[in-house]
Amino acid sequence: MKYVIIGNGIAGTNALESIRRFDPEGEIKVYGDETLPPYCRPMISHLLEGVVGPERLPVRSRDFYDKHRADAMLGQRICAIDADQKQVELPTGKTVSYDRLLLATGADPRPVDAEGTDLENIFFMRTEAQVRGMVKRLPDVRRALVLGGGLVGFKAAYGLLRRNIAVTMLIGSGYPLSMQVDETAGKMIQAVLEERGLEVRTGVSVAAFEGNGRVREALLSDGNRVACDMAVIGKGVSPAGRFLPADKIDMETGILVNSRMETSCPDIYAAGDIAECLDIARGYYRVNAIWPEAVSQGRVAGMNMAGIPTDYRGSVSRNVIRIFDLDVMSGGTLDDRDMDDTCRTVVFEDRRRRIYRKLVLKDNILIGFVLVGKIDAGGILASQVQSRMPVMLSDSELASVDLNFATIYSHARYGGTTHTEDAS
Amino acid sequence: MKQVIVSPRRCVGCMQCVVACAVAHSRSGDLPGALAESPRPNPRIHVGAGIYHEGFPNRCRHCNPAPCMAACLPGAIYRESKTDSVLVNPDVCINCASCAMACPYGVIRYRPDPLIRSGNTVAIKCDNCVARQHKGLDTACTEACKTGALVFGELDAAMKRETERVARSMTPGPEAWALHPETEPLLAHKRAIVNMNHQEEGRSSS
Ligand SMILES: Cc1cc2nc3c(=O)[nH]c(=O)nc-3n(C[C@H](O)[C@H](O)[C@H](O)COP(=O)(O)OP(=O)(O)OC[C@H]3O[C@@H](n4cnc5c(N)ncnc54)[C@H](O)[C@@H]3O)c2cc1C
Repeated sequence: MKYVIIGNGIAGTNALESIRRFDPEGEIKVYGDETLPPYCRPMISHLLEGVVGPERLPVRSRDFYDKHRADAMLGQRICAIDADQKQVELPTGKTVSYDRLLLATGADPRPVDAEGTDLENIFFMRTEAQVRGMVKRLPDVRRALVLGGGLVGFKAAYGLLRRNIAVTMLIGSGYPLSMQVDETAGKMIQAVLEERGLEVRTGVSVAAFEGNGRVREALLSDGNRVACDMAVIGKGVSPAGRFLPADKIDMETGILVNSRMETSCPDIYAAGDIAECLDIARGYYRVNAIWPEAVSQGRVAGMNMAGIPTDYRGSVSRNVIRIFDLDVMSGGTLDDRDMDDTCRTVVFEDRRRRIYRKLVLKDNILIGFVLVGKIDAGGILASQVQSRMPVMLSDSELASVDLNFATIYSHARYGGTTHTEDAS
Repeated sequence: MKQVIVSPRRCVGCMQCVVACAVAHSRSGDLPGALAESPRPNPRIHVGAGIYHEGFPNRCRHCNPAPCMAACLPGAIYRESKTDSVLVNPDVCINCASCAMACPYGVIRYRPDPLIRSGNTVAIKCDNCVARQHKGLDTACTEACKTGALVFGELDAAMKRETERVARSMTPGPEAWALHPETEPLLAHKRAIVNMNHQEEGRSSS
């Protein structure tokens, strides 16, 4: 059996491990753009922050590919595949044939439509190489501009603030992390960042970057100017599937896969940030581009490729962030567009202790939550979202900062009357 | 292999296991010494109260596969095969709390700990008393438990079923990757949309 994996991020890496576990004989080839051993992409934000060095990023050893008897050809981007001939085309023009192919190419940052983006000190923040580049420039940086208030924009701003750099953040929506949290939590996050010197501007974008070789200033869409000696573009990502034949491989936002991680094209699988699969909480197809799902999807894809039929349950978006001394965890959906009249919301707030919890239930199944403060046992809620088990807890138990597995077990043990009203 | 068998119905909520666990994870190894330590030793077992205030000993199940391990960003969580324990390497842990989000039992805490020499706040969880086990001792919580709620022993088939039943009482369990009944129709619907878009594009470009 000849396996080819395109992309050596965490999805490709886990798939490789699964394949080798179940097929000791098969020939495995891995093609990857980045040359580092498999590394932790989320940790590039810790690298920017300065709490870890580059040596901490790899999550597998240097001899990882040798140990798994895989041929790794790194430092090149595959530019085309021929699905009829079952071949991958290398940049050199050479072709390599496969029996089973995995697409694990992740996502690429979305560019901005502004003039002057080729100036120096304007960065994307997706790879360790980009962040190493940023870190090298930090000694000369006093003011930075961050475009976008999503997860990457937020992490860029946070890392730079921790380096004592003044940061201005431009966000399209009303508050940061609007894809992850609701408005109340978003404003709490914003307040903490502003206490530490972040300046937030909403509803504006950059029309042009200016400078003499190196960025010095940004001209905003409202006509204002912002001085900056570094800019980070965090305007979201798009799945890296442009090189694929769209007539053969169904793609919406990401590549559509079934529960076996199979694409619409025979013997081609997809996993990780490039894949679009069932979102368990929302009940429709969606790309949930997070690390733990990339790990799981890679594993499941690898097992199926190696002939071990395994189904993937679908994904749940979730995130946890620590901002100075504020912890925030969210999972599932809090989006108004996902709500209907079978949904109800439970809120607990203690502003003085900076605690805020909001949970959304649909037909008594937890479909989303956000916790600000006291996040340690938040996994209990995340697993409720994943399991789609009807919630037996009362509203006050569910939203309690003392939520404990004991309560859940107790309800299961004593026959589980379903509370929809607060029992206390 | 001997392991900790949890029978929650026997728990009377006396908290002896919590104290024993903290002492076992202190530098001094005895109660007066442990109380004097700074930072305070952390118990890794948590006794919660149910709806009738009955006790429930909540500790790491050392799941296999372990969701915390899959979620760990820096790869700090690993399995020690000798005792089949899921452990955290404190020198690799970055305190990101990804494991908190993954643990269906909510048994991981983030605190300074006297056993963490770097002084960093890291993920603190049950380590199955591996240090004690390697010395031939039982786990501290089972040694302290007088009611049989926590027993260190061989798991027979019946007990294994009970343990799993507890684990499943509300959570899917990490291996529950069952086919979502709705996946196929949803995918078919989505594919139909993609095909329609292709046709539209074909029409508009011709
Ligand atoms: C700054 C930042 C912070 C993040 N923080 C978190 C977090 O806290 N928690 C969380 O869960 N997730 C986080 N994420 C998301 C997480 O990193 C991704 O979900 C995860 O890395 C996806 O893994 P993957 O293997 O699917 O894709 P990737 O990691 O993108 O790997 C794909 C690889 O394939 C290569 N490639 C692409 N196209 C080709 C081609 N044509 N030929 C050859 N190689 C190719 C790419 O260069 C890349 O190396 C963060 C991401 C970023 C950027």
